[in-house]
Amino acid sequence: MTPLHNHINGNSIIIYLDRSIYSSNVILKCLYWYGDKFHTDFRSLDSTYYCVTLSVLAAETEQTDLEAYQLKFERDIIDYSLRDTVTKETANIRDLLIAKAFSNGEYDEEPAGEVSDPVGFDVHAINPYQN
Amino acid sequence: MIVSTLSRPNRKFKDTDYFSVKTETYFLMPFRFHRLNSQREVVVNEVGDHLVYPTGTVARIIGREIDKQLDSELYADLIAGMFISESPIPALIDVLATRYRTKKSFLDDFTNLHIFVITLRCEHTCHYCQVSRVTTDKDAFDMSKKHIDRGIDLMMESPNPFVTMEFQGGEALLAFDNIKYAVERTKRLAVSYNKKVTYVICTNLAVITMEILEYCKENGILLSTSLDGPGFIHNQNRRRPGNNSYELTVAGIEMANNVIEKDSISALMTATNLSLAHPIEIVEEYRARGFDSIFLRPISPYGFALSNERKNKYAMDDFLSFYKTALQHIIAYNLKGEFFREQYATIILKKILTPFPVGYVDLNSPAGAITNVILFNYDGNVYATDESRMLAESGDYTFRLGHLDSSSYEEIFYGERAMEIAEVMTNESLPGCSECAFQSYCGSDPVHNHATQGDIWGYRPTSTFCRKNMEIIRYLIELMDGSEEITKVFESWIR
Repeated sequence: MTPLHNHINGNSIIIYLDRSIYSSNVILKCLYWYGDKFHTDFRSLDSTYYCVTLSVLAAETEQTDLEAYQLKFERDIIDYSLRDTVTKETANIRDLLIAKAFSNGEYDEEPAGEVSDPVGFDVHAINPYQN
Repeated sequence: MIVSTLSRPNRKFKDTDYFSVKTETYFLMPFRFHRLNSQREVVVNEVGDHLVYPTGTVARIIGREIDKQLDSELYADLIAGMFISESPIPALIDVLATRYRTKKSFLDDFTNLHIFVITLRCEHTCHYCQVSRVTTDKDAFDMSKKHIDRGIDLMMESPNPFVTMEFQGGEALLAFDNIKYAVERTKRLAVSYNKKVTYVICTNLAVITMEILEYCKENGILLSTSLDGPGFIHNQNRRRPGNNSYELTVAGIEMANNVIEKDSISALMTATNLSLAHPIEIVEEYRARGFDSIFLRPISPYGFALSNERKNKYAMDDFLSFYKTALQHIIAYNLKGEFFREQYATIILKKILTPFPVGYVDLNSPAGAITNVILFNYDGNVYATDESRMLAESGDYTFRLGHLDSSSYEEIFYGERAMEIAEVMTNESLPGCSECAFQSYCGSDPVHNHATQGDIWGYRPTSTFCRKNMEIIRYLIELMDGSEEITKVFESWIR
């Protein structure tokens, strides 16, 4: 099969995205930021590719501007893919962090490791609050 | 007797190798990133710590390409900032959680700022004003004593031990008798409710007198005025009979400086179309009046401001050019040794460079509406923010939470309308904001979203709130990344 190349067709930018690399979630988050300047169309082309079409809303857009937007989209989609990786990999730790932050100490744990005694005496022996 | 520490069996200092986790790779911690420019990108963690690196570094971090030995400094910075961790749950997660809690601690005490629109009457006819009326009809446009009393009672019910009582207008001083009444009643009640109250009067100073200033001095009342720049800008923006608003304001500032403490009077500017061409002159006017700061503000897109579109409507990018020119001018003075700061940048820099929250209601998540500010209007209606009542003056009552005659504290602050607004008050859960690197420096503004886009959720690609804050935050970080001297200037602003 001939590889598909991103290109400009009239007032539209046509982007092909490999479904094994980009999720629809990532593509939608990226497309969100193009809605002020473009009519956005996003659909499955076949079992291998998604096709995104960005059609300019302002008729007077220059060809060079379209080329710049194509480059920007190609860069942005990678950024959103990276953001998606971080969001997914850190979802649990983020939930834990926020739960701990607002838990009033009920999820706090003793710090790992031994109690440090750098001065060299038994702190428990002189701690008046120690039972 | 001196005993060598080396001989002590219980000495606990360990070699650095002891603390080094033997690991093949590292784990990602929550962070977000943004391209500052074509060469640099910024990473920001969940509590607002940031690091700036050459473009491509984020992809390497996420791709587990940062090598502990080869990239030792970068690796150490990422570990220290908890952007990455050598264990699935870092040993210091409770420290990070405490820092997160600290960043959100502006929520702890609930509503602080209570705005009383003491009168809608004004002798100015500023073309960007959202609300005021030129009238002598006190009955129709002054807050009644019954409503003042009820507003004070609600303020005393706030869980916050520190509350601010701000009198707004119209021109608040046209109803000075009512201000005195309100302050005297609040002083008595504050003792029994154990509240510390800060009083602020927002005034154009046109009708200020020595008697008023003496009362302000006696009661520690702060004055907040408007100064849009030199006379040719100020008098164009702020019309009044005699076209002498500037002269009266300047005279009022001088009179106030002679009676009350210097820090007890502050001024705000609003940028109109005319202002945008004169950033340097506006900064110079503030220096000439003896201020050591200026707050550069775009016009509010509310109420009457929109009806004078020719004078008031400009693209946000034009404001940003104006802002940057003024900021550079201010920075140049600081680099020459003169302390003078821009207040909006200072608010953002506090968020970027300190672990503490900033009590600025327009830039919080959850939003400042209700949680930090409430407004009692002259007619007894209660609104979520100052901007909400401006919308109401043009017939939009979306953010009306109740009425002083009939609503309880619970109905106003925790009622159905408040709950609906609360759904869109956290930028952590808003489209376009949830993965934004500047989330912890920015905020959510459902009132602005509704006023400008007809939707309280808002649409970030066309949002002027988003455009302004994204660019100013990006610009401030870029400036710090490019110059240690500017970083030192910015650090002096937040002390």
